[in-house]
Amino acid sequence: MVYCFMASESNRSESNVTPRNAHLIYAWASDWYSVGEVSKEPNNREEIMQFKQVTTTAAGALALCLTTAGPTQAAGILNSAVNDWTGGAVMCEIVHQIVEKEMDFKVKRIVMPSGPGRDEAIKSGDLDYGCELWPSYSTSNTQYVEEFGGDGSIVKLGDSGVVGVSSYYVPRYMVEGDDALAPDLKTWEDMNQYADLFKTLETGDKGRLLGCPAASWQCEDSKRMEMLGLNYEAVELGSEAAHWAEMQAAYKRQEPFIAYAWEPHWIHAALDLVAVELPEHSADQWPATGWALDVTYNYGNPEFVEKNPDIAELITNFELTNDMQAPLILAIDVDGRDMEDVASEWLDENEDTWKAWLPK
Amino acid sequence: MASSLAGSFACNCKIPLHRRDESVRSQQRLLKSAIAPYHAVVLAKVKRLINSTNVTPIALRQGLFSYRGYNLTIPVYIALGLLLSVALYSVTANRFPFPQQIIDGFAFADWVNDGRSWLEDNLKTYTRAIAEVVKVPLEWLEETLWVLPWTVVLLLLVIPALAYGGLKLGLLTFFGVLFWGMVDMWYEAMSTLSLMTVSVAFSALLGVILGIIASQSDRFESLIKPVLDTMQTMPAFVYLIPAIFFFGVGATPAAMAIIIYALPPAVRLTNLGIRQVPASMVEAAQSFGSSRLQMLFKVKLPQALPSIMLGVNQCIMMGLGLAVLAVFIGGGGLGEQIWKALTRLKVGWAFEGGISIVFMAIIFDRLSYAISGVGKDKTRQPDTRFRLLPQKWDQNSVARSLERPLDSLCQLYHSAAGKLTGSITTPLHFVIPGLAAALQKRPLFLPGILIIVITYFVASQFNWMSSFPAWLELSLRDPIDYAIDWLTVNPTFIGITQGIRSTVFLYLLNPLDSFLSGLPWWYVMAMLGLIVWKSTTLRFAITTTAFLLFLAAAGLWEISMFTLAGTSVSVLICMLFGVPLGIVAAYSKPVDAVLRPILDAMQTLPAFVYLIPALFFFGGNKTTAVIATVIYAIPPVIRLTTLGLKQLPAEVNEVAGSFGSGTLQTLFKVKLPMASPSIMLGLNQAVVFALAMQAITPLVAGLGLGKEVYNAMNSADLGQGLTAGIGIVLLTIMLDRLTQGWTRNQRRALGL
Repeated sequence: MVYCFMASESNRSESNVTPRNAHLIYAWASDWYSVGEVSKEPNNREEIMQFKQVTTTAAGALALCLTTAGPTQAAGILNSAVNDWTGGAVMCEIVHQIVEKEMDFKVKRIVMPSGPGRDEAIKSGDLDYGCELWPSYSTSNTQYVEEFGGDGSIVKLGDSGVVGVSSYYVPRYMVEGDDALAPDLKTWEDMNQYADLFKTLETGDKGRLLGCPAASWQCEDSKRMEMLGLNYEAVELGSEAAHWAEMQAAYKRQEPFIAYAWEPHWIHAALDLVAVELPEHSADQWPATGWALDVTYNYGNPEFVEKNPDIAELITNFELTNDMQAPLILAIDVDGRDMEDVASEWLDENEDTWKAWLPK
Repeated sequence: MASSLAGSFACNCKIPLHRRDESVRSQQRLLKSAIAPYHAVVLAKVKRLINSTNVTPIALRQGLFSYRGYNLTIPVYIALGLLLSVALYSVTANRFPFPQQIIDGFAFADWVNDGRSWLEDNLKTYTRAIAEVVKVPLEWLEETLWVLPWTVVLLLLVIPALAYGGLKLGLLTFFGVLFWGMVDMWYEAMSTLSLMTVSVAFSALLGVILGIIASQSDRFESLIKPVLDTMQTMPAFVYLIPAIFFFGVGATPAAMAIIIYALPPAVRLTNLGIRQVPASMVEAAQSFGSSRLQMLFKVKLPQALPSIMLGVNQCIMMGLGLAVLAVFIGGGGLGEQIWKALTRLKVGWAFEGGISIVFMAIIFDRLSYAISGVGKDKTRQPDTRFRLLPQKWDQNSVARSLERPLDSLCQLYHSAAGKLTGSITTPLHFVIPGLAAALQKRPLFLPGILIIVITYFVASQFNWMSSFPAWLELSLRDPIDYAIDWLTVNPTFIGITQGIRSTVFLYLLNPLDSFLSGLPWWYVMAMLGLIVWKSTTLRFAITTTAFLLFLAAAGLWEISMFTLAGTSVSVLICMLFGVPLGIVAAYSKPVDAVLRPILDAMQTLPAFVYLIPALFFFGGNKTTAVIATVIYAIPPVIRLTTLGLKQLPAEVNEVAGSFGSGTLQTLFKVKLPMASPSIMLGLNQAVVFALAMQAITPLVAGLGLGKEVYNAMNSADLGQGLTAGIGIVLLTIMLDRLTQGWTRNQRRALGL
């Protein structure tokens, strides 16, 4: 079964490359029928042989799949939780490609929204590891991760390098420029002055703050507004997608809005946002303060970590800072490139960096 | 047979909620057959209506209140009730919250969470073992579909489509399958295809078995019915996260969730089909001395086959609905693509995934329908010529030049296939006569297999045949994104959408919400109980009141009232726009032709896909959720209105015309009243659909019970999720029965 999976994978990756070189097909077809020139480029023949091989493998794999499960060729399978946001996903992808390249492991990428469901799966071993967990937003770290006072059923595998900042943001066109509507909106103390700008039908006299999209993130936006004496109503849009959509639509129409957001995030590549300064974080005063910096970390299933120390070490060593992540996010979300390509390009260009992460 | 079965099914009001999420076509089928037997009665009725001196469309002329022959009892009661409620509201607004002591004492959510840990400790081993049973075929099929050349997969679907559904279905399938590759989602589509195939196979098998048992034992039937109701209306978000613990992550738990979710229609329709076998047939079989088992397998099951196939078809459609939500447990496939696209606000990308799902749904629906042979008129001669376009277009040269080559190609295929099969079966007759005869009956079977095998070997020689070639790819992303962007900043369009939004919020949603949640809880409960009692039975009214007490005690009273308000507003808008649209479509063929595919897409397009554009246009607020609900729930209203009008016997027009009645007069005084049961069925559907949507709208700022469920999922709180989920189930069952009661009363009033 494992073999089938691999074969299909190899077929998949090959096929993504070959058909785009349409000239190869013609070259090969003419070779087959012995009509005309064999090929214009002499070294094509090698490539042709290569994809002949691919198709044969495919057929072979099918035969194998149909009859019996083939022998395992890879050292194992890494069941990875892939984040559904670009920054987190590209981090995972870099790890995956190193694991596939250097450790002879197959990676099964499982995309699902982060949250308790995913943590549950990592705890029970259905998933082996996850990357870039934001401690402020996770309900399970205090429950499962030792470093946060949990019972150790999930293991922290080093910091991921990204340090997250959360705050309230306004679009730059509101605070800068000649026709800026709120030129003096710099800190939370200026927010009441401009509350009128953010009024909506539903919020009545109060300004509307687009708060954290889900209650389970425990941002406590409503409480913060109350405690800071701000004349705003925090609304929850239910999902992250809705939250960004609302911001993007308002931005495109150049309407005023004030919204919770965090960095690094692709939204900052799409929209030019400025943070509104909040009181410095303090656990005692929370939530009348801003957020703590999120030192994000990678995490894994303890059993998996024990059995695969090499991979665990790689993931622990792995580190990508905000500045390193930003161009990757830009390439994927703004230039619209494939995440796999962006990751493999990064690996090609930064061999020294990632070779140093490998276990000695 | 099929029609009488389905007919009694449609008006058998003991079966609530069975039509949830079902495909459009089966709705039509249901209604068509529901109405057919009554044509003669209806006709007599029309004549009587027209002949009587004052035209009274709705019967029951005697009543407490009447004016010029119109029975105004119900409107007067409604008006009185409203007046009383408004008066009460002005006095008692917000003064009677549900007693907090009861809410504190009734810790249902905690009990559930305790029970859950017990279940997790004791059941996990078994559930994991069950999951393995599903996992093996699922992984095998997925890998096989991935490795198979795309041309082979294409043929595997197109050849049966051609054989069972003719050229039209064949072409539809061809383009649908091609579309998956064209938008570069071939592998994702294969994952979803395998997920669907395996889970529907299990679900249908299990459903048919349970259905057979239910048909043999009344006790089992009464036991399983409420369970099925709950399964069908419980929002999937309630059990998706617990499913991770019991079944793991990935495609396997997704399959398990689909199996559970799609089971009810198969059970219901199998049970019903068997129970509805005519008594005369059963007696005949008995008189020949057949045993109980013989009776079941030789008489009842074959007779019930059309109904069973309809159940399987429903099973497929429901399963596809869940295939998208399965991304929450890592289900992969097209759902994953849509989810990825949405979190990045790539609307065009999401639409590509959504349309791929629509194609899969349509292919599955039409193909399973064609294979089952339900509704196929066996006495009618098959059309000698295949037609792509309506017969009227025969004269059009462009249409002809399109049709002819395809037609002749198809003819050629048929004759060649026939000859090939003939040449094989002739010698085979001497060896295995049974097999030969079976093959001869299906002349396209052997050649189809042959073509697929040949393609498989040829494909391994040509790369463009084995993996989808880039030159066939066609991205729809950019144009869709461009269109959406353009609309987002277009001042006129945004002016209109914002106008709609403020109107709905200020004049409908907000007043109704504050009204319902401001009234004393005991008053709302009593009024709802009274309405339910008058529309259905006292017993159900008592049950309803108990339901509502449960909701209040669980601390969900205000939230439920919001859901009720939101649903009512959505349904009201659906009726306001849906009925006139349906009428227009019934009178104008072009409108109907334009509307049909749009409605098809609206019903099968995963709601995820249009939520984000809705948000772009209407903004992130609770009104957007109402509008998204309307998009989802309006198709059945339009369809059933159109159908109800079209199904009226042609004589209605003639008779009414001969009495000098104009088109409008005929419509309002004769046709609409006569079509009212069908329109009421549309109302019922809209209610059920709107409540189903409550689970999705929290993704775009929807509030109410759905939001509770969604929040509970995000914090893995099964207790909270289940409580709110039960709330949705209760409201759905209540409103479903209520509207069914109205439909029944309407039918009775019309003397049907």
